[in-house]
Amino acid sequence: MSKLERLLNLIAALLNADRPLTTEQLRERIEGYPEAPESYRRAFERDKEALRSMGIPIRTIEVPGTDPPKTGYRILREEYAGTDPQLAPDELAALHVAANLVRLEGVDGDEAVLRLGGRAADESEPSLAALPTDPNLGPLFTAATEHRTVALRYGGADRTFDPWRVSFLRGHWYVTGWDHLRSEQRLYRVDRIDGGVEVGGVTEHERPADVATTPTRLAPWELGVKAPVTARVWIEADQSPWARHNLGPEAVVAEHDDGSIEVEFEVRNPDGFRAMVLTFLDGAEVLGPPELRDEVISWLEALAEPAS
Amino acid sequence: MSTRMTSGARLARLLAVIPWVAAQDGPLLTEVAERFDYPYERLTADLQEVVMFVGVYPFSPDQLIEVVVDDGRVWISYADWFSKPLKLTPDQALAMMAAGQSMLDIVGESEDNTTDGPLLRGLTKLGAAVGASAAAPVEVRLGRAADDVLATLRAAVSEHQVVEMEYYVYSRDEFTRRVVEPHRFFANAGQWYISSYCRLAEADRVFRVDRIRSVDPTGETFVHEGESGPLPPIYDPAADDPRVVLEIDDTLEWVLQQFPHDEATRRDEGGWTITMAVSATPWLERLMVQLGPHARIVGGDAEPIDVAAVAGRVLARYRQEARGG
Repeated sequence: MSKLERLLNLIAALLNADRPLTTEQLRERIEGYPEAPESYRRAFERDKEALRSMGIPIRTIEVPGTDPPKTGYRILREEYAGTDPQLAPDELAALHVAANLVRLEGVDGDEAVLRLGGRAADESEPSLAALPTDPNLGPLFTAATEHRTVALRYGGADRTFDPWRVSFLRGHWYVTGWDHLRSEQRLYRVDRIDGGVEVGGVTEHERPADVATTPTRLAPWELGVKAPVTARVWIEADQSPWARHNLGPEAVVAEHDDGSIEVEFEVRNPDGFRAMVLTFLDGAEVLGPPELRDEVISWLEALAEPAS
Repeated sequence: MSTRMTSGARLARLLAVIPWVAAQDGPLLTEVAERFDYPYERLTADLQEVVMFVGVYPFSPDQLIEVVVDDGRVWISYADWFSKPLKLTPDQALAMMAAGQSMLDIVGESEDNTTDGPLLRGLTKLGAAVGASAAAPVEVRLGRAADDVLATLRAAVSEHQVVEMEYYVYSRDEFTRRVVEPHRFFANAGQWYISSYCRLAEADRVFRVDRIRSVDPTGETFVHEGESGPLPPIYDPAADDPRVVLEIDDTLEWVLQQFPHDEATRRDEGGWTITMAVSATPWLERLMVQLGPHARIVGGDAEPIDVAAVAGRVLARYRQEARGG
């Protein structure tokens, strides 16, 4: 009796059970375990952990009608299999190509492809990106798909939060959702969540039909607590393509004959704004509003003419 | 191909193979082996020597999976417990959907991104299967750059086209024209990059795509076996680059996350002392103007800079006569 056969039989037995099976019952029903009780117990524990680490949802349940209560195990079919997405061959192939090109670190994408119906695409193209991972990503994603509330700690406060969507933007994972503590939509950077995320029950809070409300730009000057002001900035010709791509073509409000441009965009964080504008040195100039312009001028004056 | 596989890898495959074969009418064993990356000899042995004996108590013939292998084909029946594959873990579902969303972002407004395209169809089905409502529970933007530049570079990589481009060298604050052979296109930390052989530098170079002002194929092609394996590093400070030692206040702690550095030590009076490589003097000038009064240069062998003069140059722009228009 091979270990492989024993594990397959264990899964079949747990899936087949309509009530939880005790370890004694499992020993009677599955061949290949050692006779001695202590050796059997250790072998069974190892098998159970091996299966759980593959994502097989073995439930530990008290056996009904036992006194003193006995622990039993079973696998619920709906938890084991989930819903079959019924992918057409071309759909599976497209997803397979994508999974080869963009990987999530620490996750075996090949294993996911197997579960969806096996290899369907050529794997010759080199990968495009490896997205960083975070232990809280899986739970946040689950909560977002299943409309669950989570408990998490962020910015020094314990929060009740309904995740709506996880987003990888500008090189970091973010989560958008509803913060019950503040009663408003919030965006948190996943790697700045303090400790673990605890997934709770299904939320009753309505989610907007379209969560396209996630800001697509998370630049330092946009992530702030101050009331937004619209900044107008002149940018020299050489740097204008960069500004156009990073601020978006809609930000360009004037184009001069020499190729320089003027852009307008929202600023919520004056420090982040100043740092960005100064990367252009004299290739950019804040035109307004006066308070942002004056702030940059005072900053430069302090550097250029230090009090002696 | 080797027939050695761990029992864990075999188990993971069999849990996918059994339901797949059971739903078909006698697929070729060679196809099953290929599809599930299962060495052929190992697969036929496992099906006939293991799966055939899997079932439930009391293991009478009607409680066992039936496997029939005949003429290079395989049939599986009575595998009721394994009629469906194991569902994706949350991490796996996220990885698949993130990968799919990334590709939608890359292909942009092309035919692959329509409701009829296989990728979007597949993603929608996958999302529905994991319980997501209309709005995608994951979105990914790997990088930002002009669509035409991205399109030209991706085509150049796959067709081995030599390109000529105008590139902004941030560290030296200057534009350069160079002819390059682009080998690989990739994203890292929110930016697109292209690794290539640069004929100007006569060496391999990695370029950040959003700093390419223009790019055009030269019509020439190059020979290269293609780059694969791990993604290349995006910044690799040379050991012999000069170093600067900075003292920064606590308000600038983000500098530690943002910039590669040799070492950072906490100061007793608060703030940090940080040592980093300086690739070129203009880079350091710009950094110091950005950090302002919250950072001081206290050592290192980098060329001395005059922050006051640089700040004065920027200030001059603000003091010239009001811009027209």
